[in-house]
Amino acid sequence: MTSVDTDPRTTHGLFVYAVVPADVEPPDVQGVDGAPVTVVRHGRVAAVVGPVDLDRPPARAADLKTYHSVVGTLGEAGPVAPVRFGSILLDEEHVVADVLAPREAELTDLLAALSGRVELTVRARYVEEAVLSEVVAADPVIRDLSNRTRDVPEEVSWSDRVRLGELVAHAVEAKRLAEGDHLLALLLPFAVEHRVRRGSGLDHLLEVALLVDEGEQAALEEQLEGYAEAVHERILVSLTGPLPPYDFVGDV
Amino acid sequence: MTVQTTSPSRSGGYLSRPAPSGLADVVEIILDKGIVIDLYVRVSLVGIELLTIDARIVIASVDTYLRFAEATNRLDLGTAEGEGLTEALDKMRESGAAKKTKGALGGVKDALTPGKSDDDEDDEDEERPRKQPARRSSSRSRSSR
Repeated sequence: MTSVDTDPRTTHGLFVYAVVPADVEPPDVQGVDGAPVTVVRHGRVAAVVGPVDLDRPPARAADLKTYHSVVGTLGEAGPVAPVRFGSILLDEEHVVADVLAPREAELTDLLAALSGRVELTVRARYVEEAVLSEVVAADPVIRDLSNRTRDVPEEVSWSDRVRLGELVAHAVEAKRLAEGDHLLALLLPFAVEHRVRRGSGLDHLLEVALLVDEGEQAALEEQLEGYAEAVHERILVSLTGPLPPYDFVGDV
Repeated sequence: MTVQTTSPSRSGGYLSRPAPSGLADVVEIILDKGIVIDLYVRVSLVGIELLTIDARIVIASVDTYLRFAEATNRLDLGTAEGEGLTEALDKMRESGAAKKTKGALGGVKDALTPGKSDDDEDDEDEERPRKQPARRSSSRSRSSR
């Protein structure tokens, strides 16, 4: 590892967008601050980079979108391994010495594993009113607490309300565990890899990123459409993507 | 590899196909992802701490329980008074159908009454049921912070 040059005269760095196979040509897109995007090659891999002023204000909203668009453009052409947003190295020598050279083998394997595959994100949410109705209907204690606290000021019914909310949370969580597993099981046959994301909110059911062979995408979509139709009165399902495989490169 | 960068491919049936476009969407997609370059060799990881907007919140607090209780008590009394799931679902189905009928009638009326387009919004809600929950969830995460 080389150390970072702290020469005060240094004013520019290289924003590192992604790693791609070495035969990839620089994409015709504008990078951060409208700067051109270039390619630094080493062996079988290359880093897609662009100059960035080190004195500029830290990450702006536009930078996120620019980064996403550069990585997305690369993804349209072939396998791409996004580098974490905001990673800036001093110069091309550092890109080679600190990233490409020491990690060439693992990056090559990673790109091979991503080839012909895309990321799709599935998000399922309960229709809050529907799931709450089910919970109330299924549990007399919840029903009773709800009736008892409904028209009573919060100050008076505080502990009953906390108890009610707790019971509701647990009841919804139990549903979520069962139904989330069920939905996941429907999806996994189409995925090479998956990452379940932590969700929040009463209506959260499942959020999962899937790495999918391009050939499987249509079948997955059809499966999900069938599921969404069957459950639409109580569960809303969305599918985002294809996206660059952001969720499937983090371990490298 | 084909990657969706802008518009949704299509929106068919009940499965919604949102295209990530807003800043929050992009943050959600890229935050904390990607190959990590060693802290000591990179110059900076610019200001990412500022960008943890709408961070995921763990459900465990009393406030959350109170919110759930509130949501439960907001339920329509008819559906909350202990009737079975089937009846509750039937009722929802009926009200959905009623809205659709009204929308269809409104559609005819609109066609006959140039310049009036109130019902367009109703139609849109029917077709894209996820709009409302999405709004709800974002206001919830804000209020519980």
